[in-house]
Amino acid sequence: MTVLLEAIGICKNYGHVEVLREVDFVVNAGEVTALIGDNGAGKSTLVKILSGATNRDRGTILLDGKPITMSSPTDARNLGIETVYQDLALAPELGPAENTFAGREILKKGFLGKLGVLDKEAMRQRAADAFTSMGTDVKDLDAPIAALSGGQKQSVAICRSVMWANKVIFMDEPTAALGVRQTGKVLELVRRVADRGIAVVLISHNMPEVLEVADSIQVLRLGKRVAEYRNEGTTVAQLVGAMTGALDVSPNPSTAPVDGGAS
Amino acid sequence: MSLTVAPISRPGGVRRSELLLRARELSIVLALLIVFGFTTLKNHEFANAASIRQLLSGASLVALLAVGQTLVVVTRNVDLSVGSVLGLSAYLVGTLFRAHPNAPIALAFLVGIGVGVLIGAINGIITTVTRVPSLVVTLAMLYIVRGVDAEIVNAKQIDPTLIPHSFQVVGYEHIFGIPWLAIIVTVIVIAVGFYMRSFRAGRDLYAIGSNPDAATLAGVPSGRRVFTAFVVSGGLAGLGGALFLAQFATVNATGGSGYELNVVAAVVVGGVAIFGGSGTVFGAALGALLLNTINQALVAAKVSAFWNQAVAGALLLAAIAFDRWLSLRVERLESGRGERHVV
Repeated sequence: MTVLLEAIGICKNYGHVEVLREVDFVVNAGEVTALIGDNGAGKSTLVKILSGATNRDRGTILLDGKPITMSSPTDARNLGIETVYQDLALAPELGPAENTFAGREILKKGFLGKLGVLDKEAMRQRAADAFTSMGTDVKDLDAPIAALSGGQKQSVAICRSVMWANKVIFMDEPTAALGVRQTGKVLELVRRVADRGIAVVLISHNMPEVLEVADSIQVLRLGKRVAEYRNEGTTVAQLVGAMTGALDVSPNPSTAPVDGGAS
Repeated sequence: MSLTVAPISRPGGVRRSELLLRARELSIVLALLIVFGFTTLKNHEFANAASIRQLLSGASLVALLAVGQTLVVVTRNVDLSVGSVLGLSAYLVGTLFRAHPNAPIALAFLVGIGVGVLIGAINGIITTVTRVPSLVVTLAMLYIVRGVDAEIVNAKQIDPTLIPHSFQVVGYEHIFGIPWLAIIVTVIVIAVGFYMRSFRAGRDLYAIGSNPDAATLAGVPSGRRVFTAFVVSGGLAGLGGALFLAQFATVNATGGSGYELNVVAAVVVGGVAIFGGSGTVFGAALGALLLNTINQALVAAKVSAFWNQAVAGALLLAAIAFDRWLSLRVERLESGRGERHVV
């Protein structure tokens, strides 16, 4: 278990509002790390900072132990950090293959490529390979995304990020809009992504889902990380307690002696 | 609809999504054939060579402007200034010939295109920098350019005798029975169509129109691409001005007025989604040809000219309704298929 991404003492203010107050956050390679917290706890802001979409006021971010700076999502992507946004960030009129390569198209070899001619067949093939290797069933790589079901759309978005990320993928509530069966499919996919050695950060409101898929759970409340759990033996009641502040959180999660319980 | 129930594609075979993309162009061709066939039955003169040439050259300018408009509309914008640009460009090219009767033809075209590129660049900069909706920006530009045009023209007009014969050849002569105008426009349609299909910058336009935020997050240089689309639209409108002068050999302060609406109608009838993200320049050019053919057919059928615009409007509504129906149908079919996979 190696620490891949580590944030230390992240602070962020919007005007007088302290959104993040010295937040620490650790993500391990090959694990699903859930980031949970009530509305306004600072989850989205933290993820935006760690994925290059927002600047931090203070604090250090280490990737593979080395401090990094990012001023845009493109910088983050170049470091191997991808984000699956809640609203999917797919182009509905374009097909899965084109969406996968938007902004990073493969050009033809030789002179035509220098002119900017796309190698559509290569892109289709690479996208098909990626979807197959992730166990995602996308039949028509050119059919408009709008024609796919919600679960398939989400799978395309996740597979796209997997194709490009070799370090960390942030997923902002990937199952929020999905039915039960599709949620199951997407969670399986999330698990497979982590099994490839990528660190997955999952933002979720759904506690049973978090306990089903996450290896480690970090809880934010009012701009601070108030708890850190390993999955084993953690209960929904504990998580909710930590999120709302109802539970006095043990500073050392490994000693939290709980078994069985809710859900 | 046999198109929408065609089997799912395999690599190498014809893809159903591609068939769907083509469906729109095919349906316009079909409509063209029907209009043409019926009119010919009623009036045999409609199908003679001169009449067909008239159909082609009559549609050429609108088709040319529709190509540029397609680039802009695909990015979720619109360029309403094209008619005014065409008028100003035509008059300035005429002024060039008035001042230098022996000016080279190439220079005349460069002046026309240059005028359009300049105005297109202004449209593009204002739209991308200030984020003011292009509908408003280009509407303002429509009036500004028309005003400038009126001031320069000052109730005069270009005298046909000033226009060199070699320049007019481009406008109304033909080769192998095909008007030069139609050949020039067809070459441009094919070139731009290929660019939109197979080049990174072309595909970026679709990504921008389909989901602007996603395109930006994916690293697509949205501002630059939208700017370029406006420049191309302006440049083609400027070229259209030069061709307008070559075709009619005269122009006054109202040259090109109202073209913008014909152009937008052609684009929409041609299957370019007005909210961006889909459609081709081939469709838009065919849309221009269809609208012009219907126009001429009504004339040939001795229907009152007042009906022309009503028919064009009805066709526009029909095109939009058809698009909506088709996309709903596809969505239902595809999601039905999706469910089967999941279960």
